[in-house]
Order: sequence, then C-alpha cells, then structure tokens
Amino acid sequence: MSEHKIKKGTIATKTASRSTIAHINVPPSQTWNYLRVNDISFDVPTPDAKGKVFAAVPRLFDAIETGGGTPLAHWIAEASGDGNYVEVPRFTSKGNPIVIEVGPGAASNTAIMVREGATANIVVVATAHEQEIPEASTPSDTSAALTRIFVEKNAHVKLTEVVATDESTQHLENVGIHVEDGATVDVRQYALGGSKVAYGIAVDLAGERSRFNLVMRYHVSGTSTLDVNHLCRQQGPHTRAEIYASGVLADSAHKALRETIDLVHGGKDSKGNEAETVLVTGDDVVNKTLPVILCDEEDVQGNHGATIGSISQEQLDYLATRGLSEQAAESLFVRAIFDDAIINAPESLSRNAAVARASLVLGSDVSHDLVEGLGIELTDERSAHAAQEREA
Amino acid sequence: MSKTQVADIDRSIYDFTKSEAGYERYADGLTPDIVRAISKKKDEPEWMLDKRLEALETYQRLVMPKNWGPDISGLDMNHISTYVSPKTKQAKNWDDVPEDIKDTFERLGIPQAERESLAGVGAQYDSEIVYHNMREEMAKQGVVYTTIEDALHSDYEPIVKRYFGKLIPTDDHKFAALHYAVWSGGSFVYVPAGVKLSYPLQSYFRLNAQGAGQFEHTLIVTEDDTDLHFIEGCSAPKYYAANLHAGAVEIYVGNHAHMRYSTIENWSKNMYNLNTKRVTVGDDSKMEWVSGSFGSHVSYLYPTSIMAGDRSSVEFTGITFAGQNQDLDTGCKVVLQGSGTTASVETKSISKDGGINTFRSSVVIGKHADNARATVSCQSLMLDDISRSDTIPAMDVRNKSAQVGHEATIGRISDDTILYLMSRGCTEEEARTMVVNGFANPVSKELPLEYAVEMNNLIKLEMEGAIG
Amino acid sequence: MSDNTNKPLLSIRKLSAGTESKPILHDIDLDVFSGETHVLMGPNGAGKSTLGHVIMGDPVYKISHGSICFDGADITAEAADKRSLAGIFLSYQAPVEVPGVPLYSFLRTITQMRPELKTTARKFRARVGEICEQLDMDQGFLTRELNVGFSGGEKKKVEMLQLLLLQPKLAILDETDSGLDVDALSVVSRGIEAYRKDCDGALLMITHNTRILERLDVDSTHVMVKGHLVAKGPASMIDDIDKNGFGQFEALLDKSEAANQGGEDA
Repeated sequence: MSEHKIKKGTIATKTASRSTIAHINVPPSQTWNYLRVNDISFDVPTPDAKGKVFAAVPRLFDAIETGGGTPLAHWIAEASGDGNYVEVPRFTSKGNPIVIEVGPGAASNTAIMVREGATANIVVVATAHEQEIPEASTPSDTSAALTRIFVEKNAHVKLTEVVATDESTQHLENVGIHVEDGATVDVRQYALGGSKVAYGIAVDLAGERSRFNLVMRYHVSGTSTLDVNHLCRQQGPHTRAEIYASGVLADSAHKALRETIDLVHGGKDSKGNEAETVLVTGDDVVNKTLPVILCDEEDVQGNHGATIGSISQEQLDYLATRGLSEQAAESLFVRAIFDDAIINAPESLSRNAAVARASLVLGSDVSHDLVEGLGIELTDERSAHAAQEREA
Repeated sequence: MSKTQVADIDRSIYDFTKSEAGYERYADGLTPDIVRAISKKKDEPEWMLDKRLEALETYQRLVMPKNWGPDISGLDMNHISTYVSPKTKQAKNWDDVPEDIKDTFERLGIPQAERESLAGVGAQYDSEIVYHNMREEMAKQGVVYTTIEDALHSDYEPIVKRYFGKLIPTDDHKFAALHYAVWSGGSFVYVPAGVKLSYPLQSYFRLNAQGAGQFEHTLIVTEDDTDLHFIEGCSAPKYYAANLHAGAVEIYVGNHAHMRYSTIENWSKNMYNLNTKRVTVGDDSKMEWVSGSFGSHVSYLYPTSIMAGDRSSVEFTGITFAGQNQDLDTGCKVVLQGSGTTASVETKSISKDGGINTFRSSVVIGKHADNARATVSCQSLMLDDISRSDTIPAMDVRNKSAQVGHEATIGRISDDTILYLMSRGCTEEEARTMVVNGFANPVSKELPLEYAVEMNNLIKLEMEGAIG
Repeated sequence: MSDNTNKPLLSIRKLSAGTESKPILHDIDLDVFSGETHVLMGPNGAGKSTLGHVIMGDPVYKISHGSICFDGADITAEAADKRSLAGIFLSYQAPVEVPGVPLYSFLRTITQMRPELKTTARKFRARVGEICEQLDMDQGFLTRELNVGFSGGEKKKVEMLQLLLLQPKLAILDETDSGLDVDALSVVSRGIEAYRKDCDGALLMITHNTRILERLDVDSTHVMVKGHLVAKGPASMIDDIDKNGFGQFEALLDKSEAANQGGEDA
C-alpha cells in the first residue's frame, strides 16, 4: 500500500519579488499574433533558489521537450529547490503509484526513468488550501509541477494529473515525455479548478511502434483561465497518438487549447488523431482553440475534429427521453467531469483532491455520491464523517 | 474569339530616376516623392494622395511577423522601389521570357498574341467584342465596371471615396500598407439596388491598361437585392521579372444580396504573392468564395469575410496546389458578428515535389453572434514524402449559443485506389491525376465550365511537373 | 400507479404526425390500460417506430393533428423530458453514445430527479446490484462511459437496466431491429419479465418479428401498414401473422381511402 512520494520545495519565502514568465505553452507552429492564442504568460514569485545548479536530475532529462516550454521548465526547477529522480527498474510492475503532490506555494521537479519493459503508475496532484487558510498565504498563490519522464523500450507508463486548486491559487503543470520503441504512454489530465492554470505536455514518440493516448477533462468557471498545450511528435515509424479533450466552460471562463500532432519525416505509417468537445454554458466565455496537424511524411494519417457549442441534438434527445431537460443535461455533464476524475484517480491523494474540489463546485451531497454509490474508500476523515451523517 | 489591340499603355507611370529629392533618406528607395508622382500622373483627388502618403509611413513602421509564415527573405526589401518601377518588371522582348513559361502557354493552348500580352512583352489585349456587348447591357442596368482611376474622374468618385480603403485597413500588414502607397490599376464595380447580373464579370477581359496588375486594387460595391458573380484571374501564368504581387480586393455586399467571387491564381513560380481580400456582408445575404491557388513561389492569401449583418451566410471553397519550390500559406478568415450567421469552409490542398502547403484559418465568433454556425473542413493530400502539409486553424468563440465544428485530415492517395484504377487500364500517372482531379472536384464544380476545364488542365500539368 | 382504472393509461385520438418534409402516421387511435401488454406489428416502413417516438415526444417529429393523453393529462404539447417524468419510457434501437459521462452518474441523476425514486447512494447501489443480477450484467459497467464502445448486447442491457430502475407506467420497447439477434432477444426477454414482475407496468412492444413475443402474455395486437392502424385483435392474431404475413392487412389498407405516401420507420 505504500506509495512513492516525491518531495517538493517551497517556492519563495525569503523575498516578495515577482517576475514574469513569458511564452508558456507555445506550440511548434503559431498563427496570427492578433488572435492572442500563441502563448500565455504568468506573473510568479521569484524563486529563492534562482541560479543554483541541481544535481539530482540527470542531464539527459534537460533534453526532453516539455509542453510548457523551456523558460517555464527553468523556473519550476529553480522554484522547487532540488529535484527528484526516480528510477523504475527493468521489467518491474509494482503498481504502487509514484505520487507527486504540490499545494499552494509549493513546486516540484521530478525526473522519472522507466526502464525497459517496466510499468509505472505516476500521479501528479495539485491540491487546494486546507479549509483553514494559513495566515501567511498571499492572495495569488502559485503552485507548480515539472515532470519529465524517459520511457525505455516496451515500457508502459500511466500518468494521471489532477489539478484541483481553487480560486486563490494559480498552477503551472508542465510535462515532457520521451518514448522509445514499443513503449506506451497513457495520460489522463483533469483541470478542476484554479484561478489561472497552465497545462502543458509534450510527448516525443521517438521509438517505432510507440503509442500515446491522452484524455483531458476540464471545468472552468467564474473568471478563471485555463491554458493548455498538447504536443505529440511522431518521429518513429508506426507510432500512434490519440488526443482527446473535453470540458465545460461556465460563467466568464477563459480557455485556450492548443493541440499539435507533428507527423515528422521518417515516421512512416504513423497515425495521429486529435479531437475536442466543448460545452459552453456561460454568457461571457472566451473559448480559443488551435488544433494543428503538421505533416512532413507521405505514408501517414492525421485527423482532427472539434465540436464547440452545446450538447449534440442527438444526445439531448436521448437524455430527454430519460427525463433530462437541456439544463439538467448540462449539469450532468459538469458532474460527469468530477465523477470521471474520482473514478480514474489511482490513489487516495488524487481522489481526495477531486472530491474536495467537487464539493466546492457541486456541493458535498453530489461530490460524495459517487464515492458512496461505488463503495470507494476515502481516507480523509472529514469526508468519512460527513458520509456517515448522510446515511442517518 | 477575336481580339483587338488596345492602345499602347502608358508605362511611364512608374518611370523614375534616382535623382529624386530625399532619395537618400529611404534606404529602400521608395520615397514620398515617388508616391506623389504616381498620384499626380493619375491626377488623383487630394484625399487619395493623403491616403498614399499615410500608407507609406505605415509601411516604414510595420514589420512582418517573425514567428509564423513563409520565408520572404528572397524579396529585396532594400530595393522595394524596383518592384514598383517598370524597367525590371517586364521582360523586354519575347526572348527574355523564361522557357518554362513559354512551354506552359503552349500546353494550355494560349494563342501567340495573348502569350505576349500575358508575359508583358506585347500590347494589352481585351476581348473587344464580348466586352463591348457586356458594356451595353451593364450600362442599361446602371452597372459600373471600370478602373478605379476612371471612377475617380467620374460621378462615382464619392462612392469610391466612401468605400476605398475602409475595409482593409492600411496597417493590416506591411504589404497592405505598401499596396495602399503604390496601388495602380484594378477594377471598380458598382451594382445598384435590385440589379441581378445574369452573367459573370471577368477581370481577364480587362487586363488593365494602367500598370501591370502587381498592385491592383479591386473595389466592388453591391447594393441591396443584387446578384453578382465576379471572376478574377485565369489559369495562364502571369509572369513578372520583378516578382512581387501585393494586390487588394475590397467587397461590400448589401442586404438580401448574393455575391460570388471566383479566382484562379496562377502567378509564375518566381512570384511573391501577398494578396489581401476582404468582404463585408449585410443582412440576409449570401457570399461565396471559390478559390484555386496554383502558382507563385510564396503566397500569403487569406480571403476574409466579415459577417456584420444578421442571418447571412458565407461559403468558402478553395484548393491550393504546392509543387516544387513553392511555399504557399493560404486559407481564409471568417468573423461572425451578426446573429444567425453561418459559415462553411471547405478546402483542399495538394503537396508535391517538395512543395510546402500551409492551411491557415481563423473563425472568430463575436459576443453578439447568437446562434451562429460555422463548419470548417480541410483535407490535405500528400503526393510524396518530400513535401509538406500543415494545417493551422484557429477558433475564437465568445457566444454560448454558437456552434462550431471543425475537421481536418491529412493523408495520401491509398495504394488500393491507384491499383483499382490501373486495373481498369490507367497508367499510374493517369490514375494519380484522376484521383487528384476528383479531390479538387468540390472547387472545380463551382467554377464556370471553361474555368473548371482550365483548372483541370492545370492540375494535369502540375502532376506532370511540366509547369515552370 | 394511476387510479383511473376505468380510463386508459394511454389514449391516442386521431393522431397524424411526420417529419418536417413527410407525413408518416395517419389518424391513429389507440388505447392502452394500466398493466396491459400490447403488441404493434407491421411490415417494414409501416411507421411503427415513429409511433413509439411520437408518444415519447421526439422533437424530430411534428404532430399535425390529434392528441395524446397519458395518466389523465393531455401531453400532446409536452416535451420529452416531461413525458419521461410522467412515466413513459422508450427504449432506443440504437442507444446514443454520450462520451465522458459515467453510467453511474447518468443513472443516479435520472433517478434522483424523481421523488418516488430518490434515495441514498448506498440504497441506490444495492438496487442497481439487484437489477444487474436479474439481467446478468457485470457491475463494472457503472464506471464506463454511457454507451461508449458498448456492443449491441451491452447497449440493450443498459436500456433494460434503465427500464427496471425507472419503473415507468408505460414502457415502449422498440425491437424492430432485434429480430435476428439472439443475444438481444434474450436480454429483452429477461428485462420484460423483470419489468412485469417488479412493477406491473403497461407495455407496448413494437416489432415485426414474432419470435420475441413467444413468452409474452399479450392483451392486444395491432397492425400498422403505411402509417395506418388497420387491424386490432387478440394474441392469436400473432400466429396468423406468423403463418400468413402481412398481405391481408396491406390489402385492407388498399381497399380503404388511404394516403399514397407511405411512412418509413425513423
């Protein structure tokens, strides 16, 4: 039952100065600048550890491209103090997740080497403040996680990212993965809260027959901003990539999603699909999408589809015959994002974080409904008490 | 059809020498005095000169984006004035015209006299008979089809003043600014309310008499309840030694109106084509773009549709063929502002022999565009593994009742398809050409028959790699 | 349950309906009382499925004439979701995929909104467990996305699961596609048995294949041809159809002054 927990650093305690990281989440091919969809910048605390050299993370990880980009990766490395290095030995598949947790004011820098034929289960969780907000917190707290993974041949990696911060915190989630022959990577990303969240992932399918699957679910409400960059370079022959993002935008949410499938010369017989579905329920939503396919090779297939707007008429009609009005259907879709996070959370920290966030968004009856209905165990005492009360 | 010779054009309009005052101030040689001289030669109203001078300032100030777009370092930005001057832009005589251009004329069956005209070595031609009849018809209905220069010296000057340069801003991009500084030639079309033209207007018949089309400005204004089809260009390549084309097309469509703008652009393969086209549409109207892009070394081409009124629709159908040494960045932009507006974009692109094709689009749905609908479909065909095809569509949606759908596919002709056609007697090349023509069908079927045939011939030649 | 035992649960009078472009149903009269089992049969394209969808309130179809009363209320103008809450259930031939929505969340939402079914999560889970046993269904379904990647048989089970969970007063089962699918037939039979046993609801079975009816206790058989209800009879009529097909009923229609336009199943 023991999980491999990663140490994190506190971003800044000695100084109150701030700096700007520009050009976060830049896609390989950009578009007209006036559309303001080419990148995002963040105002962040200046790390105490600026300029130090870190020994824990092997140099080869610096060569791994990240979705958030190099300026961001540098900042997170400095902000987290020393990094973490984890190695999953060849052909092992223990199943105990490697858990990376950051709360407001914390950052972590983790490099994971997954050796040949191994199976690794990795979880990144960004939690919100506990209910009693500590006095020392500043109004715009920041948390960040940099995770770089080297996947050797025939290994399998499952990565779950749960960003469940609240409106008091901004979060920077940056991932880079290098994949060798025959290896597979499955990623599930959840963006459940945070005043301003950047989610970046770059995957290099360098090896032949390597595969990458990504599912992202998001819920953005209030005046929050979500900025996403998904990038998959299909370099090796016979690679497969499937990227799918879906979510709900409420109130005055701002969202920008960039997806790039790069069918690189030499990657013969590779196939890449990207798709996005967005449900817009808010009156002042700004929804930007940049789905890109780059192709430099003949014997490949690239596909992209996006559907933006409301629930399809076909789905609405089916749900209506079961008693759901359009508004009720929209509520179901929002609930489903959180239920999906709870179902797919591989361990208790991520699950608790999802339930806690769901409680704030949906109310605690609904947030605990799935947990009780499916008999999932929550290790958080407060939730267990609340559950008992409801049963009475 | 027989053609008549038009009076020799006055090419001296661009005839400048370096001893212009203030020349040294402008490293690229394009001085305000040059601009003033252009305006003076055309005897333009003051407001037009002011616009030119302002545009020149803007041109000096703007820079081309560094983070996207094909490389234009082959354009001699330090000697922009030479693009404007006629001495380098026309070949002196037929012998100077590149062989591959001559070959293409041959293959496309263009008559010799026309070839010279297209290559800029002979007199301009127009189809006097057809054009003459058209002119009488149009005059009866009150339709105006002339050059902007002529319009500025007519009763229509106020209309030109009201609309010229108001749709495409001077600072849209650096070459729009250049265009407004040195524009020359182009068409002015005015369709009064209630007039529905039963035949298309074709700019080919008006290879215009002043200037050679590199910086032409087309202004089309249609009032309510009108119907107009305007066809620009032709499949025959247009050759210029000074290889910059920075034209502009502004179209104003009234209410309850229908407008179709068809183009086959086939600039010669040394050209840099930075063309700007834009339409604004009223209520309950329909706008259609049909666009085939074949030539030029580098293209930046994104016809833009502003759906300002309510319940109007725009359809964009386009094909871009990028072959050897071509880097074509094309697509379209749609802005849905009115409620109930719809947009439908269908594009095809073909990449071959190391050509680079970039489909670049944007769909912007404004806050008040209730129930707006947009669908974009973009298909790319790769014909070999040395070419490139990129799809970069952007969407910005700010209204919750709007629906946007987008799909893109990139791939190659399947071996099964080729095998099937070969098993029915086609050679491999014929099979591939057939598939590509079929691929292009959604565009060619929107064109008038003779243009569709021309386009198919063009595709055939491109597939053979026969075009220079 | 309704206590209007003298009045039909479902009463359709002179109903004509179709799509925007085409009329499909003509002058339909139909009464179904609580607890009864009715069968609606007819040749391909008769409009049988359309009738099911029109009763349910599918917005694809427009009623041009006539009325539908259910449980004492006129529902002709009501939207589908209201009809569902009133107690009508329609199983889909091709259940729609709803990606991203776990089956659990969906089932929980549609039951919690009905006062008579509202309960705690634990009790709900237990009830679902019971039904899954009746249908021989694995509970692992609950965390899968609604209908996504489900086989035909699995989709059928999910439809039957909803039927048994919602306990409608009237269940309309459209099995026109299921004729040759052995798995589907078995699932539906189980579902119907459990439905009849657990809640004694009314059942309108739509099919053109008699096999599915073998174990049903049928009160009334109706035959539809080209959008018209041309015949009504007892259970024995099914055997007749089994032996002789629909020829005699098509002849009946030709004789009367029927419309030329035929209806097609949705």
